[in-house]
Amino acid sequence: VKEKTSTSSKLMFAPWQSAVDEGFWHQLASFKLETQRLAEHPVPVSGFFAPCSHPQVPSHLQLMEESLPTDPGGHSSESFAVQGNRNKCPVPGTLYNSNTLEGFTGLDTPSLLKITTQQIWEDIQSGRAEETSNLLNRFLLISFADLKKWSFYYWFAFPAVVITPPVTSSSCRPVSEAFDEKESTAIREACSEWRGTPATASSCFFLLHFTSGAVIARPIKDWKLAQEEGGKVIAAFYDPCNISTNPGWPLRNLLALAAARWEVKDLRVLCYREKRGFIDPQLSLIVDVQLPELPEWKAPGFLPKGVGWELNTRGKARPRSVHLAASMDPERMANEAA
Amino acid sequence: MVLSQRIHDAFKGAVERITGPRTVSAFKEKGVLTPDEFLLAGDNLVAKCPTWSWEAGDPSKRKPYFPADKQYLITRNVPCLRRAGSIEEEYEAAGGEVLLDTADDEDEGWLATHGAPSDTKKEPEELPSMDTEEKEEKRHINIIPSYAAGDDDDAPDMADFEDADNVMRNDDATLETACLFAIEPDDANILRTRTYDVSITYDKYYQTPRVWLTGYDESRMLLSPELVLEDVSQDHARKTVTIEDHPHMAGKHASVHPCRHGAVMKKIIDVLMSRGVDPEVDKYFHLLLHLMSLS
Repeated sequence: VKEKTSTSSKLMFAPWQSAVDEGFWHQLASFKLETQRLAEHPVPVSGFFAPCSHPQVPSHLQLMEESLPTDPGGHSSESFAVQGNRNKCPVPGTLYNSNTLEGFTGLDTPSLLKITTQQIWEDIQSGRAEETSNLLNRFLLISFADLKKWSFYYWFAFPAVVITPPVTSSSCRPVSEAFDEKESTAIREACSEWRGTPATASSCFFLLHFTSGAVIARPIKDWKLAQEEGGKVIAAFYDPCNISTNPGWPLRNLLALAAARWEVKDLRVLCYREKRGFIDPQLSLIVDVQLPELPEWKAPGFLPKGVGWELNTRGKARPRSVHLAASMDPERMANEAA
Repeated sequence: MVLSQRIHDAFKGAVERITGPRTVSAFKEKGVLTPDEFLLAGDNLVAKCPTWSWEAGDPSKRKPYFPADKQYLITRNVPCLRRAGSIEEEYEAAGGEVLLDTADDEDEGWLATHGAPSDTKKEPEELPSMDTEEKEEKRHINIIPSYAAGDDDDAPDMADFEDADNVMRNDDATLETACLFAIEPDDANILRTRTYDVSITYDKYYQTPRVWLTGYDESRMLLSPELVLEDVSQDHARKTVTIEDHPHMAGKHASVHPCRHGAVMKKIIDVLMSRGVDPEVDKYFHLLLHLMSLS
């Protein structure tokens, strides 16, 4: 946890954390009973998140009632339309809901993570991730709904492309230290414009393009264009992390994209974090990143390694559980109401 | 739920079904809102405080007198920095009921911008707080046994796979999660940070907004509503804060009961008008949340 020296050190990323609303479990129970029944095929789901907005707590990837498709025929499409907003940026995910506890515990978790990592890699290679940047935040959820006891067992993964040798950073400091007041103000205005425009507000990755005297926020697909136009370009992402010394997890796949598609060696990154709906220049970080040479990434058919199963509340790589009999069991609720 | 509350709810439900929503403004006379005024106040809140958003909610629970995409308001992941038990005086001084991240520099909001003294928070005698009202009303709530966050050790073990070629359980660029918990504020009173989703719905019967709290523990696992009461002033925990079904979301949630909102708002409006300030209906939520120390 050094910073501001000219030497580089390995960059470490704070893992993303999940949160599930009660409404999601209610929805999953009826989805299982009415739509999915005994089928076990993967189901597209949507998670939601916002940039970190308080120095005390990170922002979580949250599943809500509307995370599951309500249309019974909807399971065949790869994703479904969800309503997002600036505080609820949609992230595509895949749910594997098992019929039995044995089926759940027997899931081949390494293979599932590999499949999602491969999807992310393909989206990077094809340029799709630059068009729809939220694809870089894909997640995975495995679950078993014990509807006799109203217990749910589940495990999230936030697959990240592993870069070896590791990414290093020569500097990691608050925006307020990295820029003078004039630049900070221009950055604030550009970010507010991005966050205030409904079409871009929920796009979690963007660029800040410094041209003569102005800063504009642009979609990440404009990287090459902005380079040609001249001026400085920094990559930015909505950072769920609240830690003042490290960037959050979503930066990992953005760096993979920068290495694979933009072929850059050095990249300056803004970890965008908010206070009361505007950029927090003390909490938001500017990280100067050095990417390694990755010749093997150009080989046809190459697939990078993935990482990202969430640890449970005790720091172990195991599933979590939630018990909702008190609010879901009709018999118990009838007794309590009597 | 005790019988008296259930009877009241049934009565309220019946009244709501047969009466239309209020259409004539009675904001200054009674401190209540029409649905249109609720929308106006909500739009103002979202515009001024971008951490708040409108929500569509469950389509089957939609209220016809609101647009589909503007059914209720929510702000998520608000840290609760203090537990009520430890610092009685402070919340009383603030006139607040619920001790969530009390706002700092910018929360003077409306009082300040309207020429009222900026230190209004230090003059609780001028602005009636919710707790000066209605001591006699005793609302009882039924205790539901704690649920939600299961002990993670009761989760099953997963099959042990040799990590496949392309997958790692963890890599050395993953920051140890221990670091995440190492960051605790210095204040000894601060337990690990619980968080809240705060939502505002429209209560057609009382013709006022209603504030709801959904709690999460320090690992962002659901908190049972009874545990939410720990973060609420003891005076209010069993009286003005009740645990009920949320009109738009699944499950039981803690809510600041709206039965006195109109009367309290009316008093505040009178205070403002006596100071020559013309209260604007679109600022209603700023004042309401300010009162609850939620803004």
